[in-house]
Amino acid sequence: MDKKLPITCPSCQSELNVQSLACESCDTTINGSYDLPLLLKLTQEEQEFILDFVRFSGSLKKMAKKLNLSYPTVRNMLDDLIDTIETRQQSDADETD
Amino acid sequence: MTQLKHASNPMLTKLINPFRFIAGFRALAAGVLVILVTAVLAYFSNTHFPDILSVKISGDLPFWFLVSQGAGNWFIVSVVLYLTAVIASPSSVRLVDIFGTQALARFPYLPAAGIGFFGSVEKFGQYVLWENLGMGDGPVAMAGWEMGFAILLMMLTILLSIWLVALMYNAFKISANLKGAKSGGLFILGFIVSIVLTRLFSNYLLAGLV
Repeated sequence: MDKKLPITCPSCQSELNVQSLACESCDTTINGSYDLPLLLKLTQEEQEFILDFVRFSGSLKKMAKKLNLSYPTVRNMLDDLIDTIETRQQSDADETD
Repeated sequence: MTQLKHASNPMLTKLINPFRFIAGFRALAAGVLVILVTAVLAYFSNTHFPDILSVKISGDLPFWFLVSQGAGNWFIVSVVLYLTAVIASPSSVRLVDIFGTQALARFPYLPAAGIGFFGSVEKFGQYVLWENLGMGDGPVAMAGWEMGFAILLMMLTILLSIWLVALMYNAFKISANLKGAKSGGLFILGFIVSIVLTRLFSNYLLAGLV
């Protein structure tokens, strides 16, 4: 089964942090509070879009062909994603301040 | 990324927003073909389109007039919406997307051009004018079924007009990457300006016929 990494709290919808990291080979566990990297805060769909974008060397034309969508639709998806990333970065920066 | 989500009915999406899947040069080629075939049909059915929205039954109009009218309607609305998009869009707007999708959006007026083949609508118009205003050449005899058929054709034309506007709006929204009230407001503005300009263009063409 493909498990999805939860990024929001099911109880209050706040963003989740990483509290513990474990080494499966020596059983070491590290506890602390770590922010999730920005990429992991994006939805599965958005992460797949970024991976495809890199795979196709940033060619929106090739992406459009692969996704069976028109060029402006894919360009709009990229623009929306840029917006999402900028908003997240801004809100992360505001939280740090 | 809302754009990745498909509507619950993919067939409906393809009907009212095919531009998710086709734009650019492919849409332009298909759209220009649609405009040309519409002009051919309009020539034989005595129909014409005096602005981007109206469908009128006409007398005999030359083929060049109908091609120019169809091309003018498409060209004017595309220029108006392109300028609107360039000013208002946060994204880069490709000329070929606006012109291509707006050309393909004219598709509903291809079947609308065929409505003129049935004489019922014209006859119904003459009937209404004579019965209500006493205008025209004299009484027009019209059977009940014929009236029903004419009303059905007029309702069909209205549905095709609604489809056309929906297609034009979606074409603009996708090509310009505009959303919500901003896209709706700008489209309405561009649409009204285009109606006025295309009507003036048709009047200019008509003046050339006299």
